[in-house]
Amino acid sequence: MGSGVQTRVAETYHPHAPFRDELFEPDGTPRPAAVALVHELRRLGPEGLMEAGRRRDAIFMQQGITFETSGGAGSSHERPFPLDLVPRVLSGEEWRAIKRGLAQRIRALNHFVDDVYHAREIVREGLVPWRLVASCSHFARAVHGIRPPGGVYTHVAGCDLVRHSDGSWKVIEDNVRIPSGISYVLENRAAMARLVPELFGSYRVRRVDHYPQLLLGALRAVAPSAESEATVVVWTPGPANPAYFEHAFLARQMGVELVEASDLVVRDDVLYTRTTRGLERAHAVYRRLDDDFVDPLEFRPDSLLGVPGLVRAYRAGSVAIANAFGTGVADDKAIYCFVPEMIRFYLGEEPILDNVRTYLLSDPEVLEHVLERLADLVVKPTGESGGKGVMIGPHADEAEIERMRALIQADPERWIAQDVVRLSTVPTVAADGTLVPRHVDLRPFAVFGERIDIVPGALTRVALEEGSLIVNSSRGGGSKDTWVLEDGDDADRAGPPIADTLPPALPDLRYGAWVGQQQQQQQGSLGD
Amino acid sequence: MHFAIRYLTDYEYDAPVTDNLNALRVRPATTSTQRCDEFHTRIEPEARVSRYLDYFGTEVLEFGITMAHERMTIDVRARVVTSPHPDPPEGSWESLRSGAYIDAAGEFALPWQDQPPLTGLEELERALDADSPLETLQLLCEVVPERFEYRPGATYVGSSVSDLLELRAGVCQDFAHLSLVLLRRRGIAARYVSGYLWAAPADEGTDSVEVDTHAWLEALLPSSDGGGEPVWVGADPTNRKLADETYVKIGHGRFYADVPPVKGLYLGGANSELMAAVTMSRLDPQTSARA
Amino acid sequence: MLARIAHELYWLGRNLARAEFTARAAEAVFQSEIQGTTESLSSVSFGSGGLLAMLGDVDEQSSSGEALGQLTLDPEHPGSMLASVERAREGARTVRDVISAEMWEAINTTSLRLRGGGQPGWSAPAGPYYASQYVKERTALIWGVANRSMLRDEAKCFLDAGGLIETSDMVLRMLRVALPPGDSAADVHALILLQAVGGFHAYLRAVTSPPNAHPVARFLLFERAYPDSVAACVDSLHEAFMAADVGPRNSKPVLRVSRLAADLDFQRRALPEGAELTGICEQVQGELTRIDQDVAERYFAGAASAGERR
Repeated sequence: MGSGVQTRVAETYHPHAPFRDELFEPDGTPRPAAVALVHELRRLGPEGLMEAGRRRDAIFMQQGITFETSGGAGSSHERPFPLDLVPRVLSGEEWRAIKRGLAQRIRALNHFVDDVYHAREIVREGLVPWRLVASCSHFARAVHGIRPPGGVYTHVAGCDLVRHSDGSWKVIEDNVRIPSGISYVLENRAAMARLVPELFGSYRVRRVDHYPQLLLGALRAVAPSAESEATVVVWTPGPANPAYFEHAFLARQMGVELVEASDLVVRDDVLYTRTTRGLERAHAVYRRLDDDFVDPLEFRPDSLLGVPGLVRAYRAGSVAIANAFGTGVADDKAIYCFVPEMIRFYLGEEPILDNVRTYLLSDPEVLEHVLERLADLVVKPTGESGGKGVMIGPHADEAEIERMRALIQADPERWIAQDVVRLSTVPTVAADGTLVPRHVDLRPFAVFGERIDIVPGALTRVALEEGSLIVNSSRGGGSKDTWVLEDGDDADRAGPPIADTLPPALPDLRYGAWVGQQQQQQQGSLGD
Repeated sequence: MHFAIRYLTDYEYDAPVTDNLNALRVRPATTSTQRCDEFHTRIEPEARVSRYLDYFGTEVLEFGITMAHERMTIDVRARVVTSPHPDPPEGSWESLRSGAYIDAAGEFALPWQDQPPLTGLEELERALDADSPLETLQLLCEVVPERFEYRPGATYVGSSVSDLLELRAGVCQDFAHLSLVLLRRRGIAARYVSGYLWAAPADEGTDSVEVDTHAWLEALLPSSDGGGEPVWVGADPTNRKLADETYVKIGHGRFYADVPPVKGLYLGGANSELMAAVTMSRLDPQTSARA
Repeated sequence: MLARIAHELYWLGRNLARAEFTARAAEAVFQSEIQGTTESLSSVSFGSGGLLAMLGDVDEQSSSGEALGQLTLDPEHPGSMLASVERAREGARTVRDVISAEMWEAINTTSLRLRGGGQPGWSAPAGPYYASQYVKERTALIWGVANRSMLRDEAKCFLDAGGLIETSDMVLRMLRVALPPGDSAADVHALILLQAVGGFHAYLRAVTSPPNAHPVARFLLFERAYPDSVAACVDSLHEAFMAADVGPRNSKPVLRVSRLAADLDFQRRALPEGAELTGICEQVQGELTRIDQDVAERYFAGAASAGERR
């Protein structure tokens, strides 16, 4: 790599005003925390990054870390998961604020789920309109009045955060049904350590690989098994599911069975797995499918998927379900507007993380105002997740906006509108190996068992197309490894202490060659 | 009135089945105008029955038969006393917008989600124009059976309102569903009711009839002076009248799927044949009923 | 067969296993050291210092990078992977007529590729990591070739015996270095030990407890279903000597191995959960050293004797 190449990486990097770039100052110099990283990136150069990219694709294909993309005409092909090789760096201080804000939010959401299915105090206080709750498509009447072990509903949560141009973090969406992506957090880290270990050089990046143990611990903590070690299973809809890789990954990492509906049966309000040794009881289920498909007796009657009687077992308290049934009511996009109120009402605290300004369209005045400004707003369907049905006003053409206008007018309660957030950017490796700014969001993951644990890391999703604000992997987004740095500098990192009694030196083979034994004759000279 | 109700269901399977899980919503409710005095269930093959109150307050009986069987019987007996319903209130259309009304209406005023958009309702709606919500409700009980034919077998349990609109025929479940849609479009909260109906010929001294489970609806009508509590009033668009003491309510919901009398499924490739019969008998002297 | 040949094969096995486990441990330590600690869990102490200590190198206080460098491609350091592979190659050359051509080729290629700083892409700081990965893959391949291409005769028994005794010795060394003393081990997680041995997945399938120091140590010591556990190695060692020995009934090494196997089985059942294990590791390792001496005496008589380096 010549010196010309070395300078090219940094020199061609221009942050896109007015968006905040997380590694570079507006003038194109690296931010303090990124100096060493940028130095290493320069050393690697475009060729080095492209070479590492090729190795990444080969490794991901080998390990089957892929996703399906449809190539039109019904054909689909596997592509390696697009991990960008430039990590995103968060300081310990920034992380602590996010973490506290997230824990606060999840605690409030959990309270809300409990409240909605029991006393409805927040409704009686007039803070959340009941009709809004009741019209949520994920409001689960079947689990009304059921309180799971420990009062925990949202065992696994992931909130989507974005960073505004002023540097503040805002929550854009909550995910307390079946948030996915944690496997990529772990796999991204492992791949980065393998592909570009030099980037870690002078950083002290906090580990994320204990997540499966945290999850398993939380599931065991809420599992109703007094006498023995609780049996935990991961329930997947099957290999056809786009997130099957993650389901298998988590089951393998936790060392528990990955089950499908046909492996489960409920007898007398107790859930069992069918094994070669007969029925064996399952105490906790980490389920990775929607409420609609878990129990045909209680939810969608037209679906014969699922495990008949599971809700019965859940109601009887013989099995813990993570996340609990009916949590979808808390991450509905219309309910999202009320989360700051929930935090004040249930916890008596001020929210640490702000919402993005959101417009509820059930109010005719707001509706009118929003319909006038559709081209400046983001419109989202309330009951969907994963970026489905989202329209970004500034990026939509006239026809799209008109289509959306008609949809909203037909059923205003099913939509919300939000201000456009100026998503921050992070340098990203382009096809020619140079770095270009691309928009990112952040999805940290929390585990709620006996307490709330948040792994120091997150899925950073990146929009790979220039100027695009859509980061969902199903719509052409990629991801980045997210580094949360340890506090303190490199110097106070002493190695761990070593045990007192140490093993002996390694034995080695020694040939039994003949060794001569002779005595040298020494005789002093008498003369001197 | 005093009734004895027997609801007998018999499933016969052409091959053994296992894991037969069922949920029953069959117990008469206790309300201001009816009281359930006795209630028994017998399941064969024998099964442990557990009960709970669902979201809408209906008692649900659940049981599961694990071992292989080729026949299942559900035998339900109940005794109920009903009393005449008070006169329905005649509150104004304006009262529908009061806070008390909106609170009481809750989710029963919301449009029915997950339904395909309905067309051709305008003419029906025009026919329901009236001076008060009560009058609209009464008109509804005339208009629906006039425009649609009551024809068992025309629709099935999962039929939608648009099926009814297309076929111009259906059963009580479909009539109730259509009525709910029409009322809610007018801003009147309405809910689906499942129950039993004493369908004896009015002038005969019959003391026992073979009936079926029945469906009607309840509409929330504002109180006459507009200031008091709104009242749920039963109405039966199949039999062209408001509900009275011949109606025995089991429970209510937003629509059929919230209060199905029997819901179940089993494991196995067998076909089943269903035999269901509801027998209602009057226990009090006939004279008092006619008086 | 000739005592000298048996002796060479035995040490070929030992050197191959040593290179493999040094590589595995170096890789795990490298992976772990580029990242920080976890917040909620404390981990067993197994860093680059521990790695050197594990190989019996106590005097040197080197930095992490140096330590890994020494352990991988440093030709001057007798504990480096390169040195182990070179010794294996020397041994293999001596017994070229006994092992298959394929196996010789596999060993020879590995050694040639590692010399002179390894491959062009293996420049620091990630070099040790790439080298470790390479050695790991190659040793797996060499053992695979041996199992498929060598006759299951006396020669194979001695090759296997060397590999087995070295594997159990390395696992014990790792445990002795990493296991925290006394009761402090209860909540300390030991993922890195599992990663270093390569038994992470097997552990998760076999044990329900989280991978904390005690259950992990028990697993690596006693779990006979896991091929690289000490107990499983000792069992296989017994089989190998039974097959190779002319008179196993009064053979000192056979009797000693069989006693050790029984002893491990007894300890597994008798020891309460959470009991201190470092003492046992030390004992078992001592016993393995004695077995090694017995082996030299009985089978290699006069050819050579194992002893401590330096």
